[in-house]
Amino acid sequence: MDFPGIVLDTSVFSQQKKPDHETVYDMLILGGGPAAMSAVVYAARKMLSLAVVTLDFGGLMRETTEIENYLGFQSINANDLVVKFEDHVKSFDIPVSLGVAVKEVRRQGRIFTVLMEDGTLFSGKTVVFCLGERHRPLSAPGEKELAGKGVSYCATCDAPLFKGKRVLIAGGGNSAFTTAFDLVRVNAEIVLVNFVEGWQADETLQQRVRSYDKIQFLDFHEVAGIEGEGKVEEAVLRNRKTGEEKRMLFDGVFVEIGLLPNSDPVKNLVELNKKGEVVIDCSCRTNVPGFFSAGDVTMVPHKQIIISAGEGAKAALTAYDYLIETNQL
Amino acid sequence: MSLIQEKERKQLVEILKSMTNDVTIATFTQEFECNYCRMTRELLEELTGLSDKLKLRVYDFAKESDAAKKYNIDKIPATVLLGDRDYGIRFYGVPAGYEFTTLVEDIIAVSSRDPGLPEDIAAELSKVDRPVHIQVMISPT
Repeated sequence: MDFPGIVLDTSVFSQQKKPDHETVYDMLILGGGPAAMSAVVYAARKMLSLAVVTLDFGGLMRETTEIENYLGFQSINANDLVVKFEDHVKSFDIPVSLGVAVKEVRRQGRIFTVLMEDGTLFSGKTVVFCLGERHRPLSAPGEKELAGKGVSYCATCDAPLFKGKRVLIAGGGNSAFTTAFDLVRVNAEIVLVNFVEGWQADETLQQRVRSYDKIQFLDFHEVAGIEGEGKVEEAVLRNRKTGEEKRMLFDGVFVEIGLLPNSDPVKNLVELNKKGEVVIDCSCRTNVPGFFSAGDVTMVPHKQIIISAGEGAKAALTAYDYLIETNQL
Repeated sequence: MSLIQEKERKQLVEILKSMTNDVTIATFTQEFECNYCRMTRELLEELTGLSDKLKLRVYDFAKESDAAKKYNIDKIPATVLLGDRDYGIRFYGVPAGYEFTTLVEDIIAVSSRDPGLPEDIAAELSKVDRPVHIQVMISPT
């Protein structure tokens, strides 16, 4: 075997500055995904005083393995791309609050205050809100109790744990079929269950998965319950046409039924659409002056890394224009 | 050809400047080196050449069985990190790929002689009065 090379994640070693609670920053960038990181690059180059507030860097990008549609990279490991983004962000030596979630964003006059889950507060003249999305739960009985005990939301993370095991996948779109493909590769026995009739995944992906003989397809079915003592043991599947229920034995349940926007911290501040996404115009402005938003948390269609990165850049530039127009710089 | 490329070499020189105390890396190989033992030794030779605070000791697993016994090494390639004492840190196999960042993190930690634990947790852990085997399984994603 040839030497596999080394991965040196320099972000682990950087002594990051922390945001100051007393300072009113020109811009607070909330989030750590591609939209937020791109906003940082554009804002930092405008020499604004800014701080980043995020739980982590990368967000949902870290749950993917290979990325094959980011311009300039025919194929790149998702973690490696996050490290590249993060290195770029950290080259500007800006303060970063890591590891604590945002609880609520409020406005007092022209100033925005960001209340953190641990009670700390940060202030800014503008906010670029890029908190992204999280996995939508099934809301089936037993799901919450067995999360992490067989119920998983990340095939990239957990598929290898189900080698040769019986697995239920809830969902019928691309993420469900990609999960199926990940589990095919570890020789799992799969039942794919879709709430609606038919399947929404891309045809090419469906064909690839359908060529495997250890998958059973049940559309127009719902997961009525997940059961087990300390770990997933069985699930109740209900036929939505006939109402008939059947119990099947499983070792794991993968939930791949879409994502929910992380817009709770601003639900009392800005306009959201029916899906809970932040409503923005084509310049990333919300209905609240000085509050901008970008990336997957917004109503912009096609949740893609490259789109988020572009939106983040746009939001930062629009926020910069706002600061000039309102004589706040 | 170098195993550590120029870009990473420069980054490592900067990172290793944060070392506050010396760290000795002991690696166990043998006279008839397997491919992995050779890679490990060569990687560690290059790494320890990047800081005056890093020393390398190369042991022959077969011939220096006393050292292997002392550090409780039962397979090779093995890498042991030593500071003012043996903190029990071992790497088995080539510490390449993502493990390389962990290796460097551990070197910095051993150099500081401080595990970085909050006082209350350190106080709790000091009550552990017998060996405990903890096995953690992780994935890089």
